[in-house]
Amino acid sequence: MSQLTYLQAISDALRFEMRRDPGVLLLGEDIGTFGGAFKITQGFLEEFGPERVIDTPIAESGFVGAACAAATAGFRPVVEFQFIDFIACAFDQIVNYAAKCHYRWGIQMPVVFRGPTGGGIHAGPYHSQNPEAWFAHTPGLKVVLPSTARDAKGLLLASIRDNNPIVFLENKFLYRHYREDVPEGDHAVPIGLAALRTIGADLSIISYGAAVHLCVEVARLLEAEGASAEVVDLRSLVPLDRKTVLDSVKKTARALVVHEANMTAGFGAEIVALIAQEAFDYLDAPVMRVASLDVPVPFSPPLEQAMLPSVDKILEAARRVLEY
Amino acid sequence: MAQTSRLMNLPDYPAEIQADPRDLPYTEEAYLRMYSAMTLARTFEEKLGSLYRQGKIFGAVYLGMGQEATSVGCISLLEKQDLFSTVARNLSAWFYRGEKPERVLARWFGKDQSPSNGRELGLFLADLDDIGIFPYHNGSMASWIPAGAGFALTMKLRKLRNIVLCFTGDGATSPGDFYEGLNLAAIHKLPLVIICEVNQFAYSTPIELQMPVKDVAERASAFNIYSETAFGNDLFTVIDAARRGIEHARSGKGPALIEFKTFRQRGHGEHDDMGYVSPELRDFWEKRDPIAMYRRWLIERAGIKAGMLTRIDEVAVRQIEEAVRYAESLPYPLAESVTDRLFAPSPHDVKDSDRENIYEPIEHPAVPSLTARQDRSGGGHF
Repeated sequence: MSQLTYLQAISDALRFEMRRDPGVLLLGEDIGTFGGAFKITQGFLEEFGPERVIDTPIAESGFVGAACAAATAGFRPVVEFQFIDFIACAFDQIVNYAAKCHYRWGIQMPVVFRGPTGGGIHAGPYHSQNPEAWFAHTPGLKVVLPSTARDAKGLLLASIRDNNPIVFLENKFLYRHYREDVPEGDHAVPIGLAALRTIGADLSIISYGAAVHLCVEVARLLEAEGASAEVVDLRSLVPLDRKTVLDSVKKTARALVVHEANMTAGFGAEIVALIAQEAFDYLDAPVMRVASLDVPVPFSPPLEQAMLPSVDKILEAARRVLEY
Repeated sequence: MAQTSRLMNLPDYPAEIQADPRDLPYTEEAYLRMYSAMTLARTFEEKLGSLYRQGKIFGAVYLGMGQEATSVGCISLLEKQDLFSTVARNLSAWFYRGEKPERVLARWFGKDQSPSNGRELGLFLADLDDIGIFPYHNGSMASWIPAGAGFALTMKLRKLRNIVLCFTGDGATSPGDFYEGLNLAAIHKLPLVIICEVNQFAYSTPIELQMPVKDVAERASAFNIYSETAFGNDLFTVIDAARRGIEHARSGKGPALIEFKTFRQRGHGEHDDMGYVSPELRDFWEKRDPIAMYRRWLIERAGIKAGMLTRIDEVAVRQIEEAVRYAESLPYPLAESVTDRLFAPSPHDVKDSDRENIYEPIEHPAVPSLTARQDRSGGGHF
């Protein structure tokens, strides 16, 4: 074990897998000489050379299409989006090329699209978005969102080895704000398995990504009020661990769904629908959601704070579900 | 707004193939292989159109009649391990590389025929192992230029002498993917050859409304790459120009953009009556049908017996009749297979034993306002 930040855990996974598998290539803007805007690939160019660490022109659709192709030709490309907001520029190649290739032809496309998501760092409308629902809605893509440093490493290793296109959504607030013990060497975490971050009997709080941390803090505060909450961290939206969600809700009879992406047509609606359909008889209260407001992520701190979920907002919603 | 006819901008391309057979290296077998592929595609498409009009084909059909010389001419230059991508107009290229008409027709019928097994139109094919067609995004004709660059990149990384050839059209030089893909390929001097078949219309929109330049080849200067413009219905003119582009790419000098002026004899699809095409333009190209030009040249210049070509024509008709019988006899894919093969199996898929312990607590959550300062020791954004 060594203490790593979430960001260092991502670097560690990339470096480990590049040393293990010569087919792993990195493509992205400023990832070579500069080491990446967040320095995730610092030193990679020196170690692995310009044929495996490729600084691309600012043309996401172009290098994503090229990476997808290389994936079907036997390589395992990992594409870095400098900010995940720019994944919109490559949307067509991801949803129409990557997502459909195996279904159409039975030809595997092992490619990872990774990049920093999320707000709370005053980066404004184009450096703060959470686009998971765009991709979870597209059949053929896996959507993975680690909330811890251990998972950032373990899920990224599993994603690079996965034989399908994966949208790997990191959280840039967690990059340098979260640090924990991370196993050294090989450490792959299965894709499609949720984790329980707290165990509780009175309320299930279902979340993923950075919002899991807010939910864990809420569980701690609820404990002081005499309620025990179980925080379910989905870790991936596709595949979705329906079993862990339903097991938890059937046990607690109350559910709250939390994510940082905005509310309307967000992935939380899918979780609520799952619970309504499969666990209705077990419920003692309506299922509630906490998510960002349906506006672009604003820049100014009071606006951004008002838009994003917070411990206070989640705590208040949890109390309402518990008191129903 | 008045639109000038594109005809006015076309050179007066000769209606006869110009090459002197004494200058060409081909055996009779090689001539006939090209003729067979062109004829088979034409016969197939005539039948496909007729099946469509009889209501026997689901959806819509798209034909490539009139563009057989560009397809076969370019593809005849490829080596076994080279890869290519095609448009809806390059069926003769598939046949030249060995794809069987009955397999193509079975896909058009929606039957359980590999590799799509009912999941894709008969119009599209990906087959890396036998035919050399790489998988790509068929939805937009520029979208496979980045993919072509990607395959060309793998050839460069593996130090192979192979090239990637992408057919595309004049309309496909408008979207950004055309630029993004060629830009990437040019920067890294990748072995990518773009064959742009300028067939006069992007669906119904004429070239004047697609691009502000006369020739697609003019766009090549943006990438500092090799380019040529040539007549696409003269088989040996095609081979000549395509060979220069392919040799350029194969020798490591980077991409080439070869433009062929040709004509889509049918509509965008068979639902399209081409009311937007002027009679003089139709007439110009009718006199320059690539198969008729090649047939005349084979008989009159290359000393091939007309009877031999007629036999090839007859074999093509019989092959297509056989293809219809084969396609009709195949079963449809099972409805319950609809969700199969969305994902490929992977080493870290969840196993039952993984569920034994899913409790992994977060001891010190990272919460804004509660969390310690960022670790900025590594530098970087935010």
